Amino acid sequence: MRFLRAAGRELLGLFVSDWVQSGVIVVILAGGWLAVSRVGAPALVLLVLLLAAQLVWFALAEGRRSARRSPRQFPG
Amino acid sequence: MGQQLFIFGAAFLGSAVETTEALTIVLAVGLTRGWREPLLGALLAIVLLGLLVLVFGQLIVTTIPEWALKLLVGTLLLLFGLRWLHKAVLRSAGVVAMHDEVRAFQDTVNQLGEAVTRRDWVGFILALKGVFLEGLEVVFIVIAVGGPGHAWTAAITGGLTAAAVVAAAGLAVRKPLARVPENTLKYAVGILLTSLGTFWAAEGMGASWPGDFLSIFALAGIFVVASRLAVTLIRRPAFA
Repeated sequence: MRFLRAAGRELLGLFVSDWVQSGVIVVILAGGWLAVSRVGAPALVLLVLLLAAQLVWFALAEGRRSARRSPRQFPG
Repeated sequence: MGQQLFIFGAAFLGSAVETTEALTIVLAVGLTRGWREPLLGALLAIVLLGLLVLVFGQLIVTTIPEWALKLLVGTLLLLFGLRWLHKAVLRSAGVVAMHDEVRAFQDTVNQLGEAVTRRDWVGFILALKGVFLEGLEVVFIVIAVGGPGHAWTAAITGGLTAAAVVAAAGLAVRKPLARVPENTLKYAVGILLTSLGTFWAAEGMGASWPGDFLSIFALAGIFVVASRLAVTLIRRPAFA
């Protein structure tokens, strides 16, 4: 049972490490789907730029969180 | 031909990274408790993983319409690839520690050292569990890159070649493969899978990419630029 739970966690962990970021990616894709169905190929540019932008945004956010945490982790 | 090579490369590199991690566990168990049980455990895990590829590979290709398959697998591949890329960016920027196979090896040896009084099946279970769990990522990569493009042969060959190369190298040196540039590989595979995922997800939405498969290279370029930008911004001295 523990093995199955570990396998389940591993499987979920393949796709989700940060629920907020995963949610944002899914929302971008859903918006992209809507835009592609209405505008066609030009919407792909927006889709790709948004995906690239969220990568930068979430990496910076985690970098900031880590920078704030580090003084407490390494006092003095 | 270009598409087949790209899929082979993505499956090979992705599988090589995960196989290195699985090999570290098998080596740690084999060198501390003898080779019979861990090799049997690893073999059973490989058979189970092969069955997963056969069952799910057949199932998804024969039961899911192509557009839905591309959208579903593209989305999952995108989530998977972006997760690797996100971690690779943080490692490159020094926010997260680099993955260290020697340390992972030592941790496993220490864990086994505490369990010496237990029966021999500990080595079997540890190898089975390690290879199976690490192998799940290999299975996903092979199914995801091989399925939507109907390139099973290229994907499975890429995965198997990676496993064979890493296993041969590991058994030859009998040490964890610390020189494999795992973090760089993860960065590259993150870019490849994210690009492939974006490509297939959009095709599943009904869009046609200009230049068809060649547009994947443009996508890879965009994600490389974005990830390098993130690394540069995080590394700035004023960043806080």
